[in-house]
Amino acid sequence: MSAQPLLEVRDLSKRFASREGRDSSLWVIQGLSFSVRDGEFLTIVGPSGSGKTTLLNMIAQIDTASGGQVLFKSESAPINDPKSLNPGLSCRIGYVTQEDNLLPWRTTLQNVLFPLTVQGRLNDETRARAAELIRHVGLAGFENHYPHELSGGMRKRASLIRTLVYDPPVILMDEPFGALDAQTRAVLQEDLLRLWEMGRKTIVFVTHDIGEAIALGDRTLVLSRAPAKVAGEHEIDIPRPRDIRGIMTHPNFGTLYQRIRAQVQ
Amino acid sequence: MTIHDSTLELAEPSKVKWRQYAVTAGRIALVVLLLIVWKIGADRAGPIYVADPWLVAQRIVADTLSGVLLHHIYETLRVATIGFAIGCFFGVALPFVLRRLPRLTAAIEPYIMASVGVPKYALVPLFILWFGIDDAPKLWLVGLLVFYPVFIAVFAGIRDVDRRLVNMARVVGASESRISREVIWNSLVSFFIASLKIALPRAVSATIIGEFLVGDAGLGFLIEYSRQNFDSTGVFAGIVVATALVLAINAVLVQFDKRVNAWRPTERDMQI
Repeated sequence: MSAQPLLEVRDLSKRFASREGRDSSLWVIQGLSFSVRDGEFLTIVGPSGSGKTTLLNMIAQIDTASGGQVLFKSESAPINDPKSLNPGLSCRIGYVTQEDNLLPWRTTLQNVLFPLTVQGRLNDETRARAAELIRHVGLAGFENHYPHELSGGMRKRASLIRTLVYDPPVILMDEPFGALDAQTRAVLQEDLLRLWEMGRKTIVFVTHDIGEAIALGDRTLVLSRAPAKVAGEHEIDIPRPRDIRGIMTHPNFGTLYQRIRAQVQ
Repeated sequence: MTIHDSTLELAEPSKVKWRQYAVTAGRIALVVLLLIVWKIGADRAGPIYVADPWLVAQRIVADTLSGVLLHHIYETLRVATIGFAIGCFFGVALPFVLRRLPRLTAAIEPYIMASVGVPKYALVPLFILWFGIDDAPKLWLVGLLVFYPVFIAVFAGIRDVDRRLVNMARVVGASESRISREVIWNSLVSFFIASLKIALPRAVSATIIGEFLVGDAGLGFLIEYSRQNFDSTGVFAGIVVATALVLAINAVLVQFDKRVNAWRPTERDMQI
């Protein structure tokens, strides 16, 4: 592992312009700093409204910061300059958003293939990979269904593999399993860990579920209420491969949970 | 898939069929009723004011066989199509250009919206003065009348596009032109089709009005020429053919709408 972090956020701040009839503009994030190592699985927890999505939007460059720095491989993201943004940093950062954002006029398969299509990388090999991912997350037989014909969980899975299919080295995830039932959730968490261990991607995973943050992450960052900054940082000293369903019985889980819980408010 | 269809049919197959028959029968009954009212009106008002429907039908058949009618239909369709294509092109293209130029949009939007209010038919004498008596003044009129509804609908459609879908497409590496074609276009296509439901009949109407005033061919010319010769049968024949033409165009549009919106859930859920 190199000494230079892959992704670095320094003294980041963000505020949204005020609107008429509202108080002066609101700082969502102020003085936020952390870094992510290459190949690391970082989980971020924080209360709702703590600017977690805004943070990911700025890392993915679909929004600009108001101050501070966002560095990816020492390249600096534009600050306060929406026109110079490079969303997805030329397909090097994938982003699984909170909403599935599937294109409603495309079928499941067409949605999953969308990134490959627009990148001009559609061939037999990538098609086979897409088919394998579809089978893997239990969407086989639903390839020709439109998003509105799928359940919420299926849409979530389709949106997850839409990002996995083009294999970006870094993936940001914004509560991707938030709206799922416990069973599906555990299956997808296991899948995600297996895929991560195979490809050793760098993942930044935002969640409000402390248990999930511990079960998945190498390290967990706790954000404070807005204006968000880092309220705590915890190395998750639970060896891999982990047993997601039995993680709660691990001796370290209880103390980690208590410590993180105390900081999330 | 046909999950909805099959559940609907399984529910009450005979009832569904019966309802469809009832709708068709009702439609036919309305046409018959209209013809009867027309016939009574013709007998009461006299042939100068209201032509006899039977004579009108005979005239349409005779003019079709002689080829005269086809010539006029062709002329009307030709001008309406070219004018429609021009108006439609600018109506779609301009909002896409303005999307990239927010400041220009802010500057000219009030002028565009104000120009909607100018009664376009009132400009026809000017068009004749400026562009002569060939196709040009008719094309200007049709083009303008088509442009506005299409422009306003597409402009509104672009504003309505889900930003999150656009951001998603950008993150996965879609180019701006790809985003325009895929995300923006598919998001606004129902706005566009709704505007066509206004613009297409308008294109035919505007062409006919143009033909009242200039030229020596087309359904508008046929109607006006018949009127000048006190040939009410000819006037009514022209009106019937023009109406049939608009209905035929609408039928094509409905098919187009169905194909484009095949993925939408409402199509099936609203079936009778």
